[in-house]
Amino acid sequence: MPVSASPPADAGRQSEPPADVAALIPLVRRIVEARVGNHPAADDLVQETLVRVLAAASRVEPGLLEPYAIVTARNVIASLWRQADRQRRNQHRVVDLRPAEEPDEQVLAVEEQSAVAQALARLSDREREALVAHEVAGEDTHALASQTGSTPGAVAAQLNRSRARMRVEYLLALENADPPTERCRPVLLALSSGDRRRQREVDAARHVLECDLCARLSQPLMERGQQRDDEVHISVTSDADVVAARQGARELASRLGFRATDLTILATAVSEVTRNIVRFAGSGEVVVELVERPRRGVRVTARDTGPGIHDVEQALADGYSTNAGLGLGLPGARRLMDEFAVVSEPGHGTTVTMTKWLQEG
Amino acid sequence: MTPGPALVSILRQGAYLIASVHTALDDSQMVRFQDDLIGEIGRARSRGVIIDVAALDVLDSFGSNTLRSIAEMARLRGAVTVIVGIQPDVALAMVKLGMGTGSVPTALDLEEGLEYLDRHVQHSPAASARGGERSR
Repeated sequence: MPVSASPPADAGRQSEPPADVAALIPLVRRIVEARVGNHPAADDLVQETLVRVLAAASRVEPGLLEPYAIVTARNVIASLWRQADRQRRNQHRVVDLRPAEEPDEQVLAVEEQSAVAQALARLSDREREALVAHEVAGEDTHALASQTGSTPGAVAAQLNRSRARMRVEYLLALENADPPTERCRPVLLALSSGDRRRQREVDAARHVLECDLCARLSQPLMERGQQRDDEVHISVTSDADVVAARQGARELASRLGFRATDLTILATAVSEVTRNIVRFAGSGEVVVELVERPRRGVRVTARDTGPGIHDVEQALADGYSTNAGLGLGLPGARRLMDEFAVVSEPGHGTTVTMTKWLQEG
Repeated sequence: MTPGPALVSILRQGAYLIASVHTALDDSQMVRFQDDLIGEIGRARSRGVIIDVAALDVLDSFGSNTLRSIAEMARLRGAVTVIVGIQPDVALAMVKLGMGTGSVPTALDLEEGLEYLDRHVQHSPAASARGGERSR
């Protein structure tokens, strides 16, 4: 081992002969080994210690060189631990932030790619060209508009529709699913584009309640839309949800400035229709939203996928009930609200829509 | 039992029970309240019951119905029931809904409710001396 075989050049001029230092080698080695064992840096530590002792040999009183070497060895070892510790703590700062590629990542990437390709393939040629020109080639809407003899606004709207369709087709390709009904695609498209009028036209909310595939796919589609704060969704499966629904409705309506009396009336009506869901259908949802037109008010929509009501007229008549209650559920709610409509399809479920207008002034 | 603060409390006050609802109750909690209260009437040999519903957010068909059932069951067990604390908004909603408490007596607040019971519960000296349950 080449330990202190050749002392630094200036050591020769110093009064202490290197021989003294060389005699310390076994001692230093023992100390180092006792503390770090077979650490790969053990030899380096011995070297380091001896270099320091050599450098200081002229300043150390004769006879004290041995204790000096012992202390130096300890310090050198301590600083090794400190460095190791500091490195461990700072490791994350120098680490490559991209995580190591997992074995399945490649597979996922391929799936993702094929899904995008499939989705693109399902677009019409014109749609695809415009989308690629805009997203990939980076052409702006003005350039695209002048090419097709259209206006930038129309191009932007068309691009938005294409993106919405692309999202739907991508999710379908990724799930490797064919929509089970012909209603699925229009519903998903309406959800993807965030077009509320269209969603109502195709009765998207009801379809999502009924169709498992659309329920699953609608999650990512809805997430990207900004959360509306003038709407409350309550999914209803148990008694406790009845209370949640009526309190949600009351809270939302109070923001619009409803009087306390009307808030209680609204809450009571919501309680009645929500209870009907729990009792007759088992599960469903209640959506409470603020409306601006034709007047300001609160609209409550209660949907379920239960057995449906065979005779709506009869269900709305006072005293009718199939649940041994007093039959006040629907007719009572109708009396409490300003507008009230029931649509029911036996075997598919019931939708109750009711509105309370804000009494201005 | 439900964790957190009690939803209802049923307190004994002499020959009466005072049952207070502290928060909005859902249907199953309402039914449990009914069962607890009817059970307590027997245990406490109560002659009168006051149900304080001031904290209920709504009294819909189920809520009103349950209160009526409680009152009728209590009557069959020999106790007079009075409902107190129906808020004006809740009262209006109940009328619009077409719901009421039927023949169950009501009073404005706890004080009026106690007064009502004092007037309508027969205190036979023998019964109160034994803490008995004979209703008449």
